[in-house]
Amino acid sequence: MLLGQIGGMIVKLAFLSALAAAFFYYRGHKENSTRWVSFARGGYHLATLSLMTSSAIFLYLIITHQFQYTYIWNYSSTDLPLSLLLSTFYAGQEGSFTLWALYTSIIGVFLMQYASKNDYEPEVMSVYSLILSFLLLMLVIKNPFAFIWDSFPNDLLQTGPVPAGISNFVILDAAKNLWARYPVEGKGLNPLLQNYWMVIHPQILFIGFSSMAVPYAHAVAGLMKRDYNSWIRVATPWSVFGSMVLGTGIILGGYWAYETLGWGGFWGWDPVENSSLVPWLFCVASIHTTLTQRKSGAFVKTNFVLSLLTFITVLYSTFLTRSGVLGDTSVHSFVDPGNWVYWLLLGCIALFSAIGFGLLFSRMKEMPKVPVEHSFISREFALFLGAFALSFMALFVAIGTSSPIITSLLKGKASAVEIMYYVQTNLPLGIGITFLSGLGQLLWWRHSKTGSLLKSMLWPVLLGLGTTALILLMGWEEIEILLFAFCSAFSLFANLQVGYGIYRGNPKFVGGSIAHIGIAIMCLGFITSERYDDKATVSLERNKPVEALGYTIMYTGYRALDRDRFAFDIEVVKEGIRRTVAPSMHFSEQSTLRHPDLINFINKDFYVSPVSVEQAGGPREESMTMLKDAEAQVAGFNVRFIDFDFNAFERGAMLEGKNFVINVHLLILEGKRKQPLTLKMMNTESGPEFTAATYVAADQRSYEFTLVRIIPDREDKSQSKVEFSVKYPEDPAAIKKSETLVVEASIKPMINLVWVGTVTLIVGFALTIIRRAEEAKLQAEKWRKG
Amino acid sequence: MKVKVVVGLAVVVVGIILGAVNFIESNVEYMDFAAAERTSKKAQVKGEWVREQEIAFDAEHVKFSFYMKDDNNRVVKVVLDGAKPNNFELAESVVAKGRFVGDEFHATDVLTKCPSKYEGDAEAVKKTL
Repeated sequence: MLLGQIGGMIVKLAFLSALAAAFFYYRGHKENSTRWVSFARGGYHLATLSLMTSSAIFLYLIITHQFQYTYIWNYSSTDLPLSLLLSTFYAGQEGSFTLWALYTSIIGVFLMQYASKNDYEPEVMSVYSLILSFLLLMLVIKNPFAFIWDSFPNDLLQTGPVPAGISNFVILDAAKNLWARYPVEGKGLNPLLQNYWMVIHPQILFIGFSSMAVPYAHAVAGLMKRDYNSWIRVATPWSVFGSMVLGTGIILGGYWAYETLGWGGFWGWDPVENSSLVPWLFCVASIHTTLTQRKSGAFVKTNFVLSLLTFITVLYSTFLTRSGVLGDTSVHSFVDPGNWVYWLLLGCIALFSAIGFGLLFSRMKEMPKVPVEHSFISREFALFLGAFALSFMALFVAIGTSSPIITSLLKGKASAVEIMYYVQTNLPLGIGITFLSGLGQLLWWRHSKTGSLLKSMLWPVLLGLGTTALILLMGWEEIEILLFAFCSAFSLFANLQVGYGIYRGNPKFVGGSIAHIGIAIMCLGFITSERYDDKATVSLERNKPVEALGYTIMYTGYRALDRDRFAFDIEVVKEGIRRTVAPSMHFSEQSTLRHPDLINFINKDFYVSPVSVEQAGGPREESMTMLKDAEAQVAGFNVRFIDFDFNAFERGAMLEGKNFVINVHLLILEGKRKQPLTLKMMNTESGPEFTAATYVAADQRSYEFTLVRIIPDREDKSQSKVEFSVKYPEDPAAIKKSETLVVEASIKPMINLVWVGTVTLIVGFALTIIRRAEEAKLQAEKWRKG
Repeated sequence: MKVKVVVGLAVVVVGIILGAVNFIESNVEYMDFAAAERTSKKAQVKGEWVREQEIAFDAEHVKFSFYMKDDNNRVVKVVLDGAKPNNFELAESVVAKGRFVGDEFHATDVLTKCPSKYEGDAEAVKKTL
């Protein structure tokens, strides 16, 4: 038996044991029996262990280049360095689902212990195991260990004796003489993914996705246990952990896009980016509304809805980006994975929505109704509005990303929204959110006195105005952007002020303020680097300095990085200091990939993106392939391909191996002028000889035509083609020009704020996790004491 | 309480209007060249690159131009604001987003659609045997 078959069976075992664990846990909940729970634990651990084993087998097959497996052939090759080779594990659909399931199962091991301490194990783990079993079901249906001869039976399956000299084959059925060849080399990893980001970014993102299942499991568990209040304390550390990890993953993705993929910015409102943003926004909203429930008991239903949505939108996002439903409306090319992913993911969304919302609906009546006691100027109301705005933002992004589905349902033709949509809808919300994230911190619970509020707002407002004025020094902008800048700065200073107060009281409680400070700094960085950037497209003739954006830039030449990657060395001089950047281009068979390079200053980035490289001088030459009777434009005239001249006498000569001549008749049409032109190919013993023909155009410039090859079609003569090249006359202006590199240079002011803000945000999240975990622990201890 | 409900509803309504208006405005419709010529709105035209005709890149202004044939076989010169798109040669069809300027179609974006992966795979598997 082949290793992959074992791996496939272990995956099935993992699926069955996860499903069994879900069922046993459910019985444990129903019958309140520890015996069922211990069965369930066994099932869960077996699932985790199996999944780890099958992942290890998968990794082993990848490292040893077993191209008998379709997946490994599809995404890896022997020339990849180890780190990238390892990352091909999750380069495709089946592998990334494996990674997702793997992280989900491992997180579950910790969750199990945590839930057990909090007296939540049967309920939380039954839901969580069900989620894991659905992820594993995907792997059962779409097996990562599929053999390549099953994927390409027509090309690889053979019967009869194995010819001598073939070593890469497997005998499948000796009795039937059935055997298969398999490749010795893989197709390799997409060049876009070949960098260190590929090693780290997807891992973090999937840990984030996996942890988003935990708040969902807790919400459903709370509903199962009819516990409508204390579940939030148990769930919050996980929601904050999920937000921290997923948020980090999202930003890393943005940095990847900026630094390596050359999107020019860190956010392109691409479906893949959007789809991880939506669950993050819901999760962050839920963190805020649970604060109010802790304080006053309000927002019971809201907290259930938001926690359920966090995971359901993870599923929906996966559906959008993995099922092929966005088809070709996205810049990313989504491979159509076939119907199975589509229906399974839709089924998952339906099932987990039905469980969550069905249970919520049936318990709705018995939930405690807490009368609203807070006034308009209270922290509760600010939290409510902020969470509301975050949810709206999530909805707008989700709807925009779903535009191809919506438009194809409504109009029958799919079309995506422009980036403008996201900016127009999110900017007002962003203004509101940043303002509230400052204001909310200055407000008291229940009610604030207007006078004391205004007093505490004084400094943040003044400093916010000052910051906005500083930004205005860089230039005028739309009023909405300026408002956004003011609110971000206001939030920054309000949170600094409040955070300092909290820090002096109890440093453990400062996480929220720090997270807000991080977001505010990031927003200021978005504004300065995206709205106040300076761009110029520059043509750089080799060794000729050019002034642009206040820098002296000179292209000094290129060097090969490997077979098809070239780095272009550029000197950048300002105030006597010389620096170099080396953007690169990857010319592969399919496409040209452009990788930017940048110089990171404290207060800005100098960002250089290659556009194209024009080869040095010499007359231009172009080759064209034409069908019979087709016409093409060359400079100011048209060329028509009339026919081959390939007569019987010469066919005889060709068969005898003698010299023969093929004529290709072209017709040149320039204005009213028509002139036939004959291109000759003479086949001699030493190979074909081509005779060029020259056409002198009306402007007295001459064009040289040479036959490259003929592509006859014996079945259908009208499909015969000819390929020839045209040499253009020397352009007096072009001769002097040497090799030219065209680049787009830009300056991104204060972009470091984005990265500083990100780190601050992560610190804020981390502190909050510690605080909320302690809180959950206290609650658990209180319960144990009775 | 009532005031809050009114405020809440007003916020929701404003939100929905904001979303809907922008959604409709920013959805660029697919049409052929004839329709794109008539409208003043931004349009998306799907078609094929006419390989026989000249392609050019103006390095100074960073404009890439080519000829494109829409589904009704009308050929129009497309001028893209940018360099040659990725996978241009491989694409079996292209989508240009933009507006007509005179008799040229000025595109802000050109998306390339590559042949479905599986067609190419059978060939690729043979190559790596």
